Amino acid sequence: MKIENTKAQMRKGVLEYCILGILSKGDAYASDIITRLKSAELIVVEGTLYPLLTRLKNADLLEYRWEESNAGPPRKYYSLSAQGRAFQLELKDTWENLNNAVEQLTSTPS
Amino acid sequence: MNKTININLAGIIFHLDEVAYDKFKTYLYHVKTALGKEESGEEIIADVEARIAEIFHLRMKENGSQVVGLSDVEFIIETLGQPEAFVDESDNEEPKTSSKDTRRFFRNPDEKVIGGVCSGIGAYFDIDPVWIRVLFLILLFFTGIGFITYVILWAAIPEAKTTAQKLQMRGEAVNLNNIEKLFTKVEDYTSTEKIKTGVNSFVSFIVNGIGSIFSFVFKFIGVFLAIIGAFIAFILIVALLGIFGSTWNLEGFNFINLNGYIYGLDGAQAIFGSGWRLLALRVGTLLTLLMPLFALVVFLAKIFGRELTNSKLLSFSGIASFIVGLILIFFSAGSLATDFRERSTETNQITLSGSSFDITADILEDDQGFLFDVEDELLHIENVRFNIEATRSSTASLELKHAASGRNHSEARQRAQSFDYPTAQEGEELRLSEYFTVPKESLYRGQDLKVTLRLPVGATVYLDESIENIMYDIQNVQDIYDGDMLGHLWKMTPEGLSCSDCSTIEYYNAEELEENIEDNLEEMEDNIERKLEELELELKKLKDR
Repeated sequence: MKIENTKAQMRKGVLEYCILGILSKGDAYASDIITRLKSAELIVVEGTLYPLLTRLKNADLLEYRWEESNAGPPRKYYSLSAQGRAFQLELKDTWENLNNAVEQLTSTPS
Repeated sequence: MNKTININLAGIIFHLDEVAYDKFKTYLYHVKTALGKEESGEEIIADVEARIAEIFHLRMKENGSQVVGLSDVEFIIETLGQPEAFVDESDNEEPKTSSKDTRRFFRNPDEKVIGGVCSGIGAYFDIDPVWIRVLFLILLFFTGIGFITYVILWAAIPEAKTTAQKLQMRGEAVNLNNIEKLFTKVEDYTSTEKIKTGVNSFVSFIVNGIGSIFSFVFKFIGVFLAIIGAFIAFILIVALLGIFGSTWNLEGFNFINLNGYIYGLDGAQAIFGSGWRLLALRVGTLLTLLMPLFALVVFLAKIFGRELTNSKLLSFSGIASFIVGLILIFFSAGSLATDFRERSTETNQITLSGSSFDITADILEDDQGFLFDVEDELLHIENVRFNIEATRSSTASLELKHAASGRNHSEARQRAQSFDYPTAQEGEELRLSEYFTVPKESLYRGQDLKVTLRLPVGATVYLDESIENIMYDIQNVQDIYDGDMLGHLWKMTPEGLSCSDCSTIEYYNAEELEENIEDNLEEMEDNIERKLEELELELKKLKDR
């Protein structure tokens, strides 16, 4: 069992939640999301993100609109759909529960 | 003039140079195949292409450049990730552990002491870097190899800068794929060109068939040669560094011991003096050293995947300094050769008193079998050959034959005369020496000394163990080798030198002895058998009666 695999899987699991979290604070285009995830060291390369965004969009959790950019081609601006907002809130609960559970289990008993 | 290729990404035109285009094309192709399984692969590719266009656009603006180069494409691959990164692993039950060559050598900037080489190696092999450091330190203390290896690796291994590289540094799978890639890249390119230009499809089919066999063989040979080449380069570096180090007598670097003749500062100074020749030798070896050093760094950098921005400059300066270095060495050695042109011999006779001698020799204390040793402005040269011959005269004598070379005859003669060879006779004891000395300035110019003891018939001589190193093929009646003559008393007879206290058994060598014993045993067995047969016959006769 490789530690790197487990780490990657853990990161992947929270990645969707984090994308929804970023978008819950405001609309953003792909490179914005990438920059923030990168600075948090959640992703390593951008390639991972594109299939994920498309999948979330296909699941109707995200919407996008085209916006002109002065730095190259038009960009996709992503925002949460109503469904996505509900999804995000539910994930938030799950995350908090999980976080508590992990905290309780792994912290040293007093 | 460089060819550029135009491509259209998300509606924007970019000019790529040929190398960049090749790399970009392969990259995009692999990304597309990786995304082929996704349901909306087309859309993702469009997104990715738009992103690439954005990055190219930004970089062109920043650099004020018109053409996308290799470094831009490599930046794309670094930011977007290897094609495997595009596969959404959460869909698959078993995540593909990203392919073969994930693990790469990097220098580890986070845990470095000097250049992060040791901690990088540690990360690669999953070993605590402390052990690697200890190994390097040991190599450094005993020879200079540790130092040069470190420098080469430092130059050749890239530093892990991005998180991706830091992960790769600890990735998995150790293989030689990277070397192979080095050659496949070139092969791929030429074979596709062949297909394009091939007019006759049948001919090109055959050509390609043969070509692929050949390319496999060549690839194999190529990898093999590359490894051999790197090995030779390393040996050359060590050897040249050894010569360089020994001209300075650098501790840990003078690991070249040319058959015991040149060692350390003494040997180099004794031959090259301390003038321009020694300087030329030092500079020459150092310059010659650069070519294999640079070649090895460039080769390893390719394997380890480090971008050397100035590899052309490296190879040019390497070759240039190699040539200059060789010229310097040849000049130095060539001018040296003229110093050996003429040869002169001087002979001294010393009359000895008495007719029985006990021969001993002074041995250099720090004797490691070297020819030279500079001490107190004197050059000690261990090049003495001792022989014993018969003389018709009634008194024993010692003949000292000094020989030396020089640029001209008078120089050679002057050298031959400036020998100092201490001998002393105290009663029966005749003290010789293992070495002779010459003034340091006269340098080593082929000086040698033949010492001959001339004995009248009837004189005796005892050979002490201490003369072992100077004995030179002393003829004797019993034909005993020099080494076995030591520790015995010898007498000059009309037939020659003869041993007077050697027991006969010593002349047999082990093989002869064994054969003798075997022969005796066989004879005894035969005798016993014959006796037995006789007894049986007699027994029969007795029974018959």
